[in-house]
Amino acid sequence: MISFALDNAHAHDVATLLDRQGIAVRAGHHCAEPLMQRFNLDSTARASFGVYTTHAEIDALADGLIRVREFFA
Amino acid sequence: MSETDSFGDLRDLYQEVILDHGRRPRHAVRLADFDSSAKGDNPMCGDRVQVWVKFNADDIGQIGFEARGCAISIASADLMAETVQGRSKADTRALFEAFREMARTGTCPACDASLAAPIERLAPLSGVHEYPSRVKCATLPWHALIAVLDGTKEASSE
Repeated sequence: MISFALDNAHAHDVATLLDRQGIAVRAGHHCAEPLMQRFNLDSTARASFGVYTTHAEIDALADGLIRVREFFA
Repeated sequence: MSETDSFGDLRDLYQEVILDHGRRPRHAVRLADFDSSAKGDNPMCGDRVQVWVKFNADDIGQIGFEARGCAISIASADLMAETVQGRSKADTRALFEAFREMARTGTCPACDASLAAPIERLAPLSGVHEYPSRVKCATLPWHALIAVLDGTKEASSE
């Protein structure tokens, strides 16, 4: 599981744009508000992986994030 | 096909005016001289906004806000500040009802003709109705503003 934040793009914007590319991530506080405060974050996006996750799907996430960054550049 | 075009229908949600006001809000200032202030908090998604108002008799004389949140919530706060400045409290409430209807349904058939100009200015946000989880991003700043008018200190769009 990887929680992350992008510069210039809020996690909810990231999640909506990834969703439109067929990629599901969770976004927000993840029911961990004290931890968010600890790291001074208002939210993060979170990608989860399983034994069934393929290399192609992970590449799609990486490519999708590059496109999100360009969209909000 | 360019990178941005490949997002296709997302352009309805993230119109240029939204991206512009999200990046460079014009009214994102904490007023030093104000009559009332309220916070809007959406703990589920992490959006937070505080709105300050200086009244001019019954009108909103000056309005400023500070927001931490997504592009839509910041753009909505900024367009809200732009459209309510100089407006009476009653007109502001009516505009909120009209805007909320537009955010939920995409249109406002019952909208009073007197609201046509500000509603047109807020129309770029109507794309959120296609994204139910994002409607509250657009309405949170308004809930904070209504809390200012009501004299309550906090609002939530949950």
